[in-house]
This record gives sequence, structure tokens and C-alpha cells, in this order.
Amino acid sequence: MEVQNDTTPSAKRRFQSPFDVATPPGAEGWQELYPYYAHISEERRAVEEQKLWYFDGMHNPEPLYPFDTIMTENWWVAASQMTTKVWPIPVAMGIDQRIINGYLYVSPNSIDDPAEVARRAELFNERAGHYYENWDTIYAEWKKKANGCIERLKQIQFKALPEFEPEENVYGHRGIYSSHDLLSSYNRLIENLFEMGSYHFEMLNLGYGAYLTFREFCQQAFPGISDQTITDMVSGIDILLFRPDDELRKLAARAIELSVDEALLVNSDPAAALAAVGALPGGAAWLAAYEESRNPWFWFSTGVGYTHSDAVWMTDPRLPFTALRGYIQALRRGEDIRRPLDKIIETRTRVTQEYRELLPTEDDREAFDGLVKLARTVYPYVEDHNFFVEHWHHSLFWEKVRELGEVFVAHKFFDDKEDIFYLHRHEVYDALYDMIIGWAVGTPPRGEVYWRPIIQKRRKIRDALAKWSPPPALGLPPESITEPLTIMLWGITQETIQQWLGGDTAEDGVIRGIAASAGKVTGRARLITESEQLYDVQDGEILVCRITAPSWAPVFQRISAAVSDVGGMMAHTAIISREYGLPAVVGTGFATVNVSTGDLIEVDGTEGTVRVLEKAVQA
Amino acid sequence: MSAAAPFVLWLDDPIANGHPALGGKFSSLGEMTASGFSVPPGFGITTTAYRSFMDAAGLSEEARRVSAAADKMALEDIKSETKSLIAGVLNAPLPAQLEADIREAYAELERRTGVKDVPVAVRSSGESEDLAGASFAGQYDTFLWVCGIESVLHYVRQCWVGMFGEAVLSYRVDGQAVISRGDFGMCVGIQQMVQARAAGVMFTLNPLNGDRSKVAMEAVWGLGEGVVKGDITPSRFMVDKVTLEIVERKRSDQREEYRFDPSQGVAVLPIEEERIGVSCLEESHVLALADLAKHIERRRGAPQDIEWAVDVNGNVRVLQVRPETVWSRKAAQSIVGKQRSPIGHVLARMAGNQIAKPAATGAKGAV
Repeated sequence: MEVQNDTTPSAKRRFQSPFDVATPPGAEGWQELYPYYAHISEERRAVEEQKLWYFDGMHNPEPLYPFDTIMTENWWVAASQMTTKVWPIPVAMGIDQRIINGYLYVSPNSIDDPAEVARRAELFNERAGHYYENWDTIYAEWKKKANGCIERLKQIQFKALPEFEPEENVYGHRGIYSSHDLLSSYNRLIENLFEMGSYHFEMLNLGYGAYLTFREFCQQAFPGISDQTITDMVSGIDILLFRPDDELRKLAARAIELSVDEALLVNSDPAAALAAVGALPGGAAWLAAYEESRNPWFWFSTGVGYTHSDAVWMTDPRLPFTALRGYIQALRRGEDIRRPLDKIIETRTRVTQEYRELLPTEDDREAFDGLVKLARTVYPYVEDHNFFVEHWHHSLFWEKVRELGEVFVAHKFFDDKEDIFYLHRHEVYDALYDMIIGWAVGTPPRGEVYWRPIIQKRRKIRDALAKWSPPPALGLPPESITEPLTIMLWGITQETIQQWLGGDTAEDGVIRGIAASAGKVTGRARLITESEQLYDVQDGEILVCRITAPSWAPVFQRISAAVSDVGGMMAHTAIISREYGLPAVVGTGFATVNVSTGDLIEVDGTEGTVRVLEKAVQA
Repeated sequence: MSAAAPFVLWLDDPIANGHPALGGKFSSLGEMTASGFSVPPGFGITTTAYRSFMDAAGLSEEARRVSAAADKMALEDIKSETKSLIAGVLNAPLPAQLEADIREAYAELERRTGVKDVPVAVRSSGESEDLAGASFAGQYDTFLWVCGIESVLHYVRQCWVGMFGEAVLSYRVDGQAVISRGDFGMCVGIQQMVQARAAGVMFTLNPLNGDRSKVAMEAVWGLGEGVVKGDITPSRFMVDKVTLEIVERKRSDQREEYRFDPSQGVAVLPIEEERIGVSCLEESHVLALADLAKHIERRRGAPQDIEWAVDVNGNVRVLQVRPETVWSRKAAQSIVGKQRSPIGHVLARMAGNQIAKPAATGAKGAV
């Protein structure tokens, strides 16, 4: 089927075909990192070439590690089944995925046959209605399920296989042994991830739906109202995502009370700081408070939690310690570092009340009251699920995978526990079986020589892929973007598509995006493409990245503005950007391509523009 | 009508607040002054003064006849019908007490401002402006930069005469000549000129769609006459009334402005190089104006049309306040398509239906 048909009058502009994307040099053979079903293929060309695929840089800004596809494969099913099978959202089907040059591209399926929409609407109304009507009760149950899932995850352990079976397995007449335990622990680990992955979406789409409805109502009533203002009207103040940062503020105050603040300030290495604090008279009390805060609040990822490479406060406390020092210094200057909760509530009440009064009729005010109330009901879930799922559970999950990595190191399969992430989860099962065969039989398992060269090759490939800049979209844009999740989650609208089609470089040096947080700032850019680079950020720099994560909060103390390639109104960043009052422009599409570290740029968060004023001299 | 009103009433006199003898514009300015808004100092020559003059000159009866006949007058007949009345208003002597009061008030304004022959704006402020729905926008005369008492007296008569001009007599709302609805008097306001660095007009709603959450502003360098007359393309700003954020802005490439020139009076003159390409309002002014608009609207309890100026010292001054007359007359139209429960709205949205229609457009909202 010929699709490059730009000459007919009705032909629309389209993005590059996913089939025409070239492999970056050095990444030849990248396909073997991922399972067969994740690839674009000739057999499905007719379908794949007629769809719009957009880059999911919001959740997966870097090339996927083979093991990490467990997260994307999870929501491929878990998010999609909610809209197709659980409560058939009348106009939306699932969101399809493909991996192209190591990056995740997604494509929502929608329905436009009116009969089918009506058939689904009936089912949807009953089922979704039940959830909305019982939201608070269901959310309370949800928290129990989530906590239970996390508890069971904590119990899973991976140990190297013993030389001889322990006595209790023999005299307890157990009949199953360490090999079985290892395999079943792995199976439970994978099931546990998919269990949490399913809870993740149990209420999310409906939560977004209620919010989206309120948002559209506001946009119709008050054309031009900003997304931030709408979110402000429904957002809670005691959401869990603020909690880790709040804990640091508390710890800073406690450090001054106990006179251990100096020790924390002079030791920039967290381990050295903890040792120095421990040696002081008030040290034990502070360390106790620190331990208290850490669990669970340091299970906080510096990324969106979808990849193992995002540092977690629990295992890499450099970020929280940097923030802690900042808070101690602020307190010493006599500043009040508490969040101004009363003021936030007062503003929220005033803003909501004033808009309400500006509505034309009593009917409208009634609809507004109902929608704002419903949006506020669902919003705690929308905001808080993030901590339970992505931060707490997933961070813990990655640690468990590393524990298994240690087992492979002990059995001489790998040199480093981190190597496990170069295997797909199905390959890990094979490798485990190989390991227990070797253990049981006494012949050295093939895995001892099989995996090292593969891992080495895959590392090179992934490094090559990381240097490639994925285009924001591929394939054929649909007539119109109506699928609610695309708009809500990724911020992709008809305008975004038009803007992307408009070209990949800003002709006039102006990069346009969504005005996410008001204000104008000029400064040097700091390009972050991997979360490890966060530690390079200098005071006053402007963060330029594919996507920011709320857990980067401590970095927001240092930067003067933020710019991202992707993200819409519901991008996790919005909440924190507002808190810190920094100008931000999101959804620029190409900022990371057009801006380099050291460039002098101007960020206008009111207009949604980024100007490159002066390119950095390349060293 | 308030027969008891004096011939001259200062804007800062406590009784000036909404006083009917000050006509539409000036009674509003009295209210603004009383509410603490920054209004340039001035006084009104009241409708009582006007009636006293007309009675003394023996013109009242003729004025009533002309006004009453306005509804049936053909446009081409107006000039001949009003000829003798206009000649009378222009030439009849002022009653002695009235003239003395006006002279004394102008002298007082000179003392207050410390400026001899203080430049003033002489503005018509008709009773008929109070009629809901009749803004008489631009129909009554305003004379700028009038200096010295003799000129003031001259232009006061010009304002009175303006009541019988073609434009006013033929001004119709709902097919009826407004002036024929009653026996309207005319107040003439005398107010110190503001040396405007920038000036303009703002509405406390979006005039394009009636969206009440916005303040729509048009601004120019110099005096605001260009905005009102429409011969200078203004810069535009749209501000969210609740959050006070500028949601839309369009800078006009202004090269000329209205300004006072000693040899030419108020004229359209080129602006200097340094100001070309520069916004006539700083962001802080836009926000201060929007905040002002919000307070005036709240104070007045309905959407307003406000003329303002930023003086040479950067202070925002209120020049004129009147009710918005287009959207305020329309029956409020609900934006929700259908009455539903909140959950019903959400379910409908997820089924692909729009739950609200856009705020009314000009065409849809027309009466």
C-alpha cells in the first residue's frame, strides 16, 4: 500500500514513516534487546504506517533497558485493558506501543462508529458510575491493596543457591528445595509488579476523566483560562508527593535543635555526614529521626520511577542531603521554610469562588459546583497514586531485581549486579533455569560464558542509542485528536501536532511550548538527558530536559527555570514547578535538540517560549 | 430631579457620590472619588444650573418640544428644527449667580492645582446616559485642554448645545429616539487634564464573547482619544480577572499619538524613536489597571466600561466609568448544554460528548 501520497489535494502532512527511521551508527542489531511483539514489522506495515506514533519521553526519556520494558509492557496491558475491557470508555480503545531505536513510541486507538460508541457507553455508564459514586470507599480499599502488595514485595528475597540444602528442607519433609524457591521468588517478583501495575490504572483513567470534564467546562466558560489555574482549584495541599521534601524540612529544623547542623553542612558526602552526626551528643536522636523519615519517604525516585537507572533517595541520598543543607542554611538565615499552607488554601478558595460568581447562569454555577466537587474527590488519587506506585513500590522493586542480580554475580553469570538490566525478563527466567540446572547437575552452566559478551554488546548498542534524539512523532496524524488520555497524560492536541509538523528547528531561534509556570528568566542552560547528570546542575542554571520529575524537587532550589521536550497539564512536574514559583515551558518537542549546556537562553513561562540568545562556545 | 442641587458640585463633595444632578458620567466619577479611586480633581456644572439657564433664557419650552419631537424627526429636518434653539443656547446671557459660581469654582481649581489657567477637560455628562442600554458613546462632546475661564464658559455652552445635535437627537435604542423618552438635563464636567503618558479603555468583560472572567484593555501612547475615536491602533491586553494573569497581549506598532501642543492644541503628533516598538504599558501597569477594573466592577455591581490614563508620574487615573451596555442587556445564556448530575457530565464527556458550549459569541448572543 502506497502511503506517501502528498500530491492529492486531501493529502495531509505526515511525519516520517516508522519504517524509514535509520539505525544510529553503532546500534546495529538493537532489535535483539526487545521482544518480537514490540517491533515495527513488515507483516503489520499496513496498520503501523497509517497510525500516529508519538515518543513517550514523559515516562521513558532514555533508551529502554531490556529488563525495564517490564514497566512499559505492564501499562501496555494494564492501562489499555481499563479502557477496552473493564469499563469500555466509549470513544477510546487501548494505547499501543512500539520500540523504535530503543525508544518507546505510543499510539492510542480510538472508536468512531456511533453504534459501537453507544453500546460501550451503556456498559461504561454503569460500571464507571459505580466507581465515581463510591470513590472514597474504593480508594480506601485501594490503599489497603497497595500496602499489601508492597508488604509482599518486601518479603521476597533472593539468595545464592546453597552447596547443600539446609536441614529444615530435609527434616521438615518439605519436598521442594532452593531451586524451586529461587524460581518461584522470581515468578512472585514479576507477578507482584504486574499486580501493582494493575492497581496503578484501576482508578487513574476515571480520575483523569473527571478532571478533564471539569477542565473543559472551565475552558468553555472562561476561554483562555490557564491549566495551572484549573489544577489549582482542585489540587490538594497534603498530597504525598510533597511529603519527602517536607520530611527534609523537618529534619533540617531538628538538626538545628540538636546542634548537628554544622556536621551536616560541612560534610557533603552523605555517609561522612551521617558518621559525623553520630559522633555528636545530639547525633543519636537526629539519626533516629532520620531513620523514621526515611521509611517510606525516601523510597522516592529522582525520575518517574519507570526505569531502574533513576536514583532513589533511599539508596542514593546525595539529592536529599543537598536539599537538607539548603534548608539548614535557609533556617540559619532566619527564613521560614514551611510551605505556606494557609495561603495556598485561601487562594484556592478565593479563586474557585470568584470564577463561580462569574458564570452566566444558576444552572452553570450548579454544574460548576458539582464538577469541582467531583474533581476534588478524585484528585487525591490522581496525585497520590504516584507515591505508592512509581516511587515506593517501583523503587523497592528495582532493589529486589538488583538483589537477584547479586545472585547471578555469585553464580559467575555476570560481573556486576546491574548487568541483569540488559536481559529481558523472559531471558532472566531462562538464565535462572540454566543456573539451577548447573547447580543440580554439576556441569558448569552455559550462562557462565553465554551472557557476558551479549551484555557487553548490548551496553554498546544502548550507549549508541542514547546519543540519538528521537523525533516527537512518526507516521500519519489522525483527522483530530479526541482520545482523552492522549490529551490528558501527554498533553498532545491538534495544535501540538501542527507545531511538530511545522519543523524541527526554530527558524527564528524561538522554541515554542506550553506555558507551564509564569515568569521570565534569562540564564545558562543545563541539558540533562540522564538523571545521573542532575548532580552537575549549578545554582541559577536553567534546566533543559526531555521531562522533569517531581522528585527532582531539591534541584528546583538551585535552578532558575525549567524547560522540557514533553509534558502537558498533568505532567508530574506541574505541581512542583508551581510550588517553587519558577518559570517553566513544557512540551517544546525539541528543546533538548536545539539547546546545549552553557547556551544563554531566555525562558518565558508566561508566553511559553524559549529563546536561544547565545550559543555556548563548544569546548 | 433634584431641584435642591447647587449650580456647582465638586467631585469630592460627599453628596456628589451618584448625585443625579451630575448626569451619568460625573455622578459615576463622584462615586469613584468617594470610593477612593484616583480621579483627577474637578467639578460639575449641574443639571440644576443648566435648567436655571434655560428657564432664564426662556428656552425650556422649546427644548422640551424639540426633544419630544425627536422620535418623529427625519434626520435631514433636525438642523432646521433646532436652529433657533441652538442660537439661543449659544447667545443668551448666563444668570449672574451661575456665572459667578462657575468663575469661582474654576478659580478654586486653579488654587487647588496651583496652576494658573489650569488645563481642563470640559465634558458633557447627560442625564440620558443613565438610561440602561444607552451609552451615548462618543455622541456627547468633550473638549480637551481648555485653558482659562473665558474658554471654559465658551465650551460649557458648546456642551449644552450638544444636546440638540443631530447625533444625539437621532440616537436610537430599540428603534426609539432615546432623547424623546423624557426631559433630560445636561451637566458639564470640568476636570483637570491628565498629562497622559499612556491611556485607554478597558471593559470588565471580554467584549467579543461576554466572558466575565476577563478584563479587556486597549491602550495607546498619549491621550486616550485615539482609542475612543479609533484612529490609532491600540495595543491590546486580556487579563484573567481572578488570577490577574495576562492571558493575551498584542502590541501595536504605534507611531503617532494624541498629545497637547501649545501651538496646535490637542493633535496627532509623531512619537519619538525611543518609544516606537516599546509597549505603552509595563506589565505592572496592566496588572494595576486590571485590579482597578475588578474593584470598580465590584463596587458598581455590574460590568463596566472604564476610561483611564497613566500620568507622567506613572500613576493610574480613572477618567470615566460607565456601565457596559452590550452584554449586560442580553439574557444570560447557560453554557451547560444539558442539566445532568456531575457524574452524568463526566460519563457524557467520556462518551465523546461536549458538556458545555463555548461562552456566547457575538452572533449567538445578539438580542
